[in-house]
Amino acid sequence: MKSTATLILRGKKYDVKAGSTLLSALNKLEILPESVICVRNGDLITEDTLIEAGETIKLVSVISGG
Amino acid sequence: MKCKKCGGKAVINMRQHNMGLCKDDFIQWLQEQTQRHIEKQKMFTLAEKVLVAVSGGKDSLALWDILVTLGYQADGLYIALGIDEGIGYSAESQRLTEAFANARDLKLHIVNLAGEYGTDVPTLAKQTKRGRDKPCSACGLVKRHEMNRIARDFGYDVLATGHNLDDEAATLFSNTLQWNGDYLLRQAPVLEERNGLARKVKPLFRFYEREMAAYALLRGIEYIYDECPFAEGSTSTYYKELLNQLENQSPGAKQHFYTKFLAAKKKGLFAESTVEIIPELHLCPKCGQLTSARAECSFCKMMERVQKK
Repeated sequence: MKSTATLILRGKKYDVKAGSTLLSALNKLEILPESVICVRNGDLITEDTLIEAGETIKLVSVISGG
Repeated sequence: MKCKKCGGKAVINMRQHNMGLCKDDFIQWLQEQTQRHIEKQKMFTLAEKVLVAVSGGKDSLALWDILVTLGYQADGLYIALGIDEGIGYSAESQRLTEAFANARDLKLHIVNLAGEYGTDVPTLAKQTKRGRDKPCSACGLVKRHEMNRIARDFGYDVLATGHNLDDEAATLFSNTLQWNGDYLLRQAPVLEERNGLARKVKPLFRFYEREMAAYALLRGIEYIYDECPFAEGSTSTYYKELLNQLENQSPGAKQHFYTKFLAAKKKGLFAESTVEIIPELHLCPKCGQLTSARAECSFCKMMERVQKK
Protein backbone atom coordinates (compact mmCIF):
# COMPACT_ATOMS: atom_id res chain seq x y z
CA MET A 1 0.00 0.00 0.00
CA LYS A 2 1.26 3.46 -0.89
CA SER A 3 2.55 5.32 2.13
CA THR A 4 3.42 8.60 0.45
CA ALA A 5 1.58 11.63 -0.88
CA THR A 6 2.49 14.26 -3.45
CA LEU A 7 2.96 17.98 -2.94
CA ILE A 8 3.07 20.16 -6.07
CA LEU A 9 4.67 23.60 -6.10
CA ARG A 10 5.06 25.54 -9.38
CA GLY A 11 4.70 22.31 -11.36
CA LYS A 12 7.40 20.49 -9.36
CA LYS A 13 6.33 17.33 -7.54
CA TYR A 14 7.60 16.30 -4.11
CA ASP A 15 6.97 12.88 -2.55
CA VAL A 16 6.28 13.16 1.16
CA LYS A 17 5.55 10.67 3.91
CA ALA A 18 1.87 10.18 4.74
CA GLY A 19 0.82 10.41 8.37
CA SER A 20 2.84 13.51 9.16
CA THR A 21 1.49 17.06 9.26
CA LEU A 22 1.78 19.46 6.36
CA LEU A 23 3.94 21.70 8.51
CA SER A 24 6.39 18.90 9.11
CA ALA A 25 6.52 18.09 5.37
CA LEU A 26 7.04 21.75 4.45
CA ASN A 27 9.84 22.07 7.00
CA LYS A 28 11.58 18.98 5.60
CA LEU A 29 11.34 20.39 2.09
CA GLU A 30 12.57 23.77 3.37
CA ILE A 31 9.46 25.51 2.05
CA LEU A 32 8.40 28.40 4.28
CA PRO A 33 4.73 27.96 5.32
CA GLU A 34 4.40 31.74 5.09
CA SER A 35 5.15 31.62 1.37
CA VAL A 36 2.44 29.14 0.30
CA ILE A 37 -1.26 28.34 0.55
CA CYS A 38 -2.08 24.63 0.72
CA VAL A 39 -5.00 23.37 -1.38
CA ARG A 40 -6.51 19.86 -1.26
CA ASN A 41 -9.32 18.98 -3.70
CA GLY A 42 -9.99 22.69 -4.19
CA ASP A 43 -10.22 23.43 -0.45
CA LEU A 44 -7.71 25.45 1.56
CA ILE A 45 -6.20 23.52 4.46
CA THR A 46 -4.11 24.59 7.45
CA GLU A 47 -0.59 23.35 8.18
CA ASP A 48 -1.66 21.13 11.07
CA THR A 49 -3.58 18.89 8.61
CA LEU A 50 -2.39 15.27 8.50
CA ILE A 51 -1.24 14.12 5.09
CA GLU A 52 -3.09 11.07 3.81
CA ALA A 53 -1.53 8.31 1.70
CA GLY A 54 -1.95 8.69 -2.05
CA GLU A 55 -3.35 12.22 -2.00
CA THR A 56 -2.09 15.25 -3.91
CA ILE A 57 -1.82 18.67 -2.27
CA LYS A 58 -1.23 21.78 -4.35
CA LEU A 59 0.95 24.52 -2.90
CA VAL A 60 0.11 27.94 -4.27
CA SER A 61 3.02 30.36 -4.09
CA VAL A 62 1.86 33.68 -2.63
CA ILE A 63 4.83 35.91 -3.40
CA SER A 64 4.38 38.14 -6.40
CA GLY A 65 6.48 40.95 -7.72
CA GLY A 66 6.28 43.55 -10.40
CA MET B 1 -7.42 23.75 13.54
CA LYS B 2 -10.73 25.32 14.49
CA CYS B 3 -12.19 28.66 13.49
CA LYS B 4 -11.79 31.11 16.35
CA LYS B 5 -15.21 32.62 15.65
CA CYS B 6 -17.55 29.69 14.97
CA GLY B 7 -15.57 26.58 15.94
CA GLY B 8 -15.84 25.15 12.40
CA LYS B 9 -12.90 23.95 10.32
CA ALA B 10 -10.32 26.68 9.77
CA VAL B 11 -8.97 27.25 6.25
CA ILE B 12 -6.23 29.67 7.27
CA ASN B 13 -4.00 30.10 10.29
CA MET B 14 -2.82 33.67 10.88
CA ARG B 15 -0.05 33.14 13.41
CA GLN B 16 0.59 36.86 13.87
CA HIS B 17 -2.98 37.22 15.16
CA ASN B 18 -2.98 33.82 16.89
CA MET B 19 -6.18 33.14 14.94
CA GLY B 20 -7.51 30.54 12.55
CA LEU B 21 -10.71 31.22 10.61
CA CYS B 22 -13.13 29.24 8.44
CA LYS B 23 -13.93 30.35 4.88
CA ASP B 24 -16.97 32.51 5.63
CA ASP B 25 -15.54 34.12 8.76
CA PHE B 26 -12.20 34.84 7.05
CA ILE B 27 -13.87 36.56 4.09
CA GLN B 28 -16.07 38.61 6.41
CA TRP B 29 -13.12 39.46 8.69
CA LEU B 30 -10.93 40.63 5.81
CA GLN B 31 -13.69 42.79 4.32
CA GLU B 32 -14.53 44.33 7.71
CA GLN B 33 -10.88 45.02 8.47
CA THR B 34 -10.45 46.71 5.08
CA GLN B 35 -13.44 48.93 5.81
CA ARG B 36 -11.96 49.76 9.21
CA HIS B 37 -8.59 50.71 7.71
CA ILE B 38 -10.23 52.84 5.00
CA GLU B 39 -12.20 54.76 7.63
CA LYS B 40 -9.42 55.01 10.21
CA GLN B 41 -6.92 56.32 7.67
CA LYS B 42 -9.58 58.56 6.05
CA MET B 43 -8.78 57.06 2.65
CA PHE B 44 -12.13 57.79 0.96
CA THR B 45 -15.87 57.82 1.51
CA LEU B 46 -18.82 56.19 -0.20
CA ALA B 47 -19.47 59.49 -2.00
CA GLU B 48 -16.05 59.59 -3.68
CA LYS B 49 -15.06 58.02 -7.02
CA VAL B 50 -12.27 55.46 -6.70
CA LEU B 51 -10.03 54.25 -9.50
CA VAL B 52 -8.49 50.85 -8.72
CA ALA B 53 -5.25 50.03 -10.54
CA VAL B 54 -5.67 46.39 -11.56
CA SER B 55 -2.96 44.15 -12.96
CA GLY B 56 -4.70 40.78 -13.16
CA GLY B 57 -2.86 39.70 -10.00
CA LYS B 58 -4.43 38.51 -6.75
CA ASP B 59 -4.02 41.72 -4.74
CA SER B 60 -5.53 44.24 -7.12
CA LEU B 61 -8.44 42.02 -8.18
CA ALA B 62 -9.13 41.14 -4.54
CA LEU B 63 -9.07 44.85 -3.66
CA TRP B 64 -11.56 45.65 -6.41
CA ASP B 65 -13.80 42.79 -5.23
CA ILE B 66 -13.68 44.04 -1.62
CA LEU B 67 -14.41 47.68 -2.49
CA VAL B 68 -17.37 46.78 -4.69
CA THR B 69 -18.70 44.40 -2.02
CA LEU B 70 -18.43 47.18 0.58
CA GLY B 71 -20.46 49.47 -1.69
CA TYR B 72 -17.75 51.88 -2.85
CA GLN B 73 -17.86 53.48 -6.32
CA ALA B 74 -14.85 51.65 -7.68
CA ASP B 75 -13.88 51.44 -11.36
CA GLY B 76 -10.80 49.65 -12.67
CA LEU B 77 -7.78 50.68 -14.70
CA TYR B 78 -5.68 48.15 -16.58
CA ILE B 79 -2.49 49.25 -18.35
CA ALA B 80 -1.43 46.93 -21.19
CA LEU B 81 2.35 47.06 -20.90
CA GLY B 82 3.19 44.68 -23.76
CA ILE B 83 5.18 42.15 -21.71
CA ASP B 84 5.24 38.81 -23.47
CA GLU B 85 8.52 36.97 -22.78
CA GLY B 86 7.19 33.85 -24.50
CA ILE B 87 4.35 33.33 -22.03
CA GLY B 88 1.97 36.08 -23.16
CA TYR B 89 2.10 37.62 -19.68
CA SER B 90 0.33 40.92 -20.43
CA ALA B 91 -2.24 39.29 -22.74
CA GLU B 92 -3.21 36.76 -20.06
CA SER B 93 -3.29 39.44 -17.33
CA GLN B 94 -5.62 41.55 -19.47
CA ARG B 95 -7.86 38.58 -20.28
CA LEU B 96 -8.29 37.76 -16.58
CA THR B 97 -8.93 41.40 -15.66
CA GLU B 98 -11.55 41.82 -18.39
CA ALA B 99 -13.22 38.54 -17.40
CA PHE B 100 -13.38 39.76 -13.76
CA ALA B 101 -14.92 43.09 -14.76
CA ASN B 102 -17.39 41.58 -17.25
CA ALA B 103 -18.60 38.93 -14.81
CA ARG B 104 -19.45 41.65 -12.28
CA ASP B 105 -20.57 44.30 -14.77
CA LEU B 106 -17.86 46.73 -13.59
CA LYS B 107 -16.37 49.63 -15.50
CA LEU B 108 -12.80 49.00 -16.65
CA HIS B 109 -10.52 51.54 -18.35
CA ILE B 110 -7.86 49.95 -20.54
CA VAL B 111 -4.77 51.90 -21.58
CA ASN B 112 -2.88 50.17 -24.35
CA LEU B 113 0.69 51.44 -24.43
CA ALA B 114 1.17 50.29 -28.03
CA GLY B 115 -2.00 52.06 -29.15
CA GLU B 116 -1.40 55.26 -27.15
CA TYR B 117 2.33 55.66 -27.63
CA GLY B 118 3.39 53.07 -30.24
CA THR B 119 5.73 51.26 -27.87
CA ASP B 120 5.83 48.77 -25.00
CA VAL B 121 7.71 48.46 -21.72
CA PRO B 122 10.48 46.05 -22.90
CA THR B 123 11.21 48.41 -25.84
CA LEU B 124 11.27 51.45 -23.56
CA ALA B 125 13.78 49.75 -21.29
CA LYS B 126 16.00 48.71 -24.20
CA GLN B 127 15.98 52.07 -25.97
CA THR B 128 16.47 54.32 -22.96
CA LYS B 129 18.90 54.35 -20.10
CA ARG B 130 16.21 53.12 -17.73
CA GLY B 131 16.48 49.52 -16.60
CA ARG B 132 18.97 47.98 -19.04
CA ASP B 133 18.19 44.25 -18.63
CA LYS B 134 15.31 44.86 -16.23
CA PRO B 135 12.51 47.13 -17.42
CA CYS B 136 11.04 47.59 -13.91
CA SER B 137 12.11 51.24 -13.68
CA ALA B 138 10.51 52.16 -17.03
CA CYS B 139 7.44 50.10 -16.12
CA GLY B 140 7.00 51.92 -12.80
CA LEU B 141 7.32 55.30 -14.49
CA VAL B 142 4.75 54.38 -17.16
CA LYS B 143 2.29 53.05 -14.57
CA ARG B 144 2.55 56.12 -12.32
CA HIS B 145 2.12 58.49 -15.26
CA GLU B 146 -0.84 56.69 -16.80
CA MET B 147 -2.61 56.13 -13.46
CA ASN B 148 -2.39 59.85 -12.72
CA ARG B 149 -3.51 60.72 -16.25
CA ILE B 150 -6.63 58.54 -16.20
CA ALA B 151 -7.54 59.62 -12.65
CA ARG B 152 -7.25 63.29 -13.71
CA ASP B 153 -8.96 62.97 -17.12
CA PHE B 154 -11.94 61.03 -15.77
CA GLY B 155 -12.33 62.98 -12.53
CA TYR B 156 -11.54 60.29 -9.95
CA ASP B 157 -11.03 61.49 -6.38
CA VAL B 158 -8.81 58.61 -5.33
CA LEU B 159 -6.38 56.15 -6.87
CA ALA B 160 -6.25 52.81 -5.01
CA THR B 161 -3.53 50.19 -5.42
CA GLY B 162 -3.33 46.63 -4.11
CA HIS B 163 -0.10 46.94 -2.14
CA ASN B 164 -0.15 44.53 0.80
CA LEU B 165 1.90 44.51 4.00
CA ASP B 166 4.61 42.30 2.47
CA ASP B 167 5.04 44.81 -0.37
CA GLU B 168 5.27 47.67 2.10
CA ALA B 169 7.61 45.82 4.48
CA ALA B 170 9.95 44.87 1.59
CA THR B 171 10.02 48.50 0.42
CA LEU B 172 10.69 49.67 3.97
CA PHE B 173 13.46 47.09 4.35
CA SER B 174 15.09 48.26 1.11
CA ASN B 175 14.85 51.94 2.04
CA THR B 176 16.18 51.24 5.54
CA LEU B 177 19.16 49.27 4.24
CA GLN B 178 20.06 52.30 2.15
CA TRP B 179 18.88 54.86 4.73
CA ASN B 180 16.91 56.46 1.95
CA GLY B 181 15.47 59.28 4.02
CA ASP B 182 13.25 60.89 1.40
CA TYR B 183 11.55 57.62 0.54
CA LEU B 184 11.14 56.69 4.21
CA LEU B 185 9.38 59.99 4.86
CA ARG B 186 7.06 59.49 1.91
CA GLN B 187 6.14 55.84 2.54
CA ALA B 188 2.56 55.84 3.84
CA PRO B 189 -0.80 54.15 3.23
CA VAL B 190 -2.27 57.51 2.16
CA LEU B 191 -0.63 60.17 0.00
CA GLU B 192 -2.83 63.23 -0.01
CA GLU B 193 -4.11 64.91 -3.17
CA ARG B 194 -1.79 67.65 -4.35
CA ASN B 195 -2.22 70.19 -7.14
CA GLY B 196 -4.44 67.99 -9.24
CA LEU B 197 -2.69 64.69 -8.44
CA ALA B 198 -5.34 62.29 -7.13
CA ARG B 199 -5.03 61.04 -3.55
CA LYS B 200 -3.25 57.67 -3.52
CA VAL B 201 -4.29 54.97 -1.07
CA LYS B 202 -3.32 51.40 -0.21
CA PRO B 203 -6.34 49.83 1.54
CA LEU B 204 -4.64 46.39 1.88
CA PHE B 205 -1.58 47.76 3.69
CA ARG B 206 -2.26 45.74 6.86
CA PHE B 207 -2.77 42.31 5.26
CA TYR B 208 -0.10 39.72 4.62
CA GLU B 209 0.40 38.62 1.03
CA ARG B 210 -0.65 35.11 2.09
CA GLU B 211 -3.99 36.42 3.33
CA MET B 212 -4.65 38.15 0.03
CA ALA B 213 -3.88 34.96 -1.92
CA ALA B 214 -6.24 33.03 0.38
CA TYR B 215 -8.95 35.66 -0.08
CA ALA B 216 -8.66 35.53 -3.88
CA LEU B 217 -8.80 31.72 -3.91
CA LEU B 218 -11.73 31.56 -1.48
CA ARG B 219 -13.70 34.15 -3.47
CA GLY B 220 -13.09 32.20 -6.68
CA ILE B 221 -11.21 35.09 -8.26
CA GLU B 222 -9.21 33.90 -11.27
CA TYR B 223 -5.89 35.71 -11.21
CA ILE B 224 -2.54 35.31 -12.90
CA TYR B 225 -0.45 32.93 -10.78
CA ASP B 226 2.79 33.66 -12.61
CA GLU B 227 4.66 36.68 -11.42
CA CYS B 228 5.88 39.18 -13.97
CA PRO B 229 8.77 37.45 -15.82
CA PHE B 230 10.94 40.52 -15.20
CA ALA B 231 10.28 40.35 -11.44
CA GLU B 232 11.81 36.87 -11.11
CA GLY B 233 14.93 37.11 -8.99
CA SER B 234 14.22 40.76 -8.20
CA THR B 235 15.55 42.40 -5.07
CA SER B 236 12.04 43.02 -3.72
CA THR B 237 11.20 39.29 -4.03
CA TYR B 238 14.45 38.44 -2.23
CA TYR B 239 13.60 40.85 0.59
CA LYS B 240 10.13 39.33 0.88
CA GLU B 241 11.72 35.88 1.26
CA LEU B 242 14.09 37.18 3.92
CA LEU B 243 11.22 38.76 5.84
CA ASN B 244 9.26 35.50 5.59
CA GLN B 245 12.19 33.65 7.17
CA LEU B 246 12.04 36.13 10.02
CA GLU B 247 8.26 35.73 10.22
CA ASN B 248 8.61 31.96 10.36
CA GLN B 249 10.79 32.21 13.46
CA SER B 250 8.93 35.12 15.00
CA PRO B 251 5.25 35.41 13.99
CA GLY B 252 4.23 39.06 13.67
CA ALA B 253 7.75 40.27 12.82
CA LYS B 254 6.72 41.67 9.41
CA GLN B 255 3.69 43.37 10.87
CA HIS B 256 5.65 44.95 13.72
CA PHE B 257 8.44 46.11 11.42
CA TYR B 258 5.99 48.02 9.24
CA THR B 259 3.31 49.21 11.67
CA LYS B 260 5.83 50.37 14.28
CA PHE B 261 7.59 52.32 11.52
CA LEU B 262 4.32 54.10 10.72
CA ALA B 263 3.72 54.77 14.41
CA ALA B 264 7.24 56.13 14.88
CA LYS B 265 6.86 58.38 11.84
CA LYS B 266 3.58 59.72 13.18
CA LYS B 267 5.32 60.60 16.45
CA GLY B 268 7.91 62.58 14.50
CA LEU B 269 10.81 60.19 15.06
CA PHE B 270 12.22 60.81 11.58
CA ALA B 271 11.31 64.46 11.14
CA GLU B 272 8.87 67.04 12.40
CA SER B 273 5.44 65.81 11.33
CA THR B 274 4.77 69.19 9.71
CA VAL B 275 7.92 69.16 7.60
CA GLU B 276 7.45 69.59 3.83
CA ILE B 277 8.53 66.24 2.42
CA ILE B 278 7.42 66.59 -1.19
CA PRO B 279 9.72 68.59 -3.47
CA GLU B 280 8.45 71.67 -5.26
CA LEU B 281 6.42 70.58 -8.26
CA HIS B 282 5.87 72.13 -11.69
CA LEU B 283 3.60 71.38 -14.60
CA CYS B 284 5.13 69.41 -17.46
CA PRO B 285 4.75 71.61 -20.59
CA LYS B 286 3.96 68.56 -22.71
CA CYS B 287 1.52 66.38 -20.75
CA GLY B 288 0.44 68.83 -18.05
CA GLN B 289 1.25 66.45 -15.19
CA LEU B 290 3.15 67.51 -12.11
CA THR B 291 6.88 66.93 -12.07
CA SER B 292 9.81 67.87 -9.87
CA ALA B 293 11.73 68.78 -13.06
CA ARG B 294 11.62 72.36 -14.33
CA ALA B 295 11.14 71.12 -17.90
CA GLU B 296 9.44 68.05 -19.32
CA CYS B 297 8.62 65.21 -16.93
CA SER B 298 10.58 61.93 -16.93
CA PHE B 299 7.80 60.12 -18.78
CA CYS B 300 7.69 62.61 -21.67
CA LYS B 301 11.48 62.68 -21.89
CA MET B 302 11.57 58.89 -22.08
CA MET B 303 8.89 58.77 -24.79
CA GLU B 304 10.66 61.48 -26.78
CA ARG B 305 13.92 59.53 -26.72
CA VAL B 306 12.20 56.38 -27.98
CA GLN B 307 10.22 58.16 -30.69
CA LYS B 308 13.40 59.78 -32.04
CA LYS B 309 15.04 56.36 -32.57
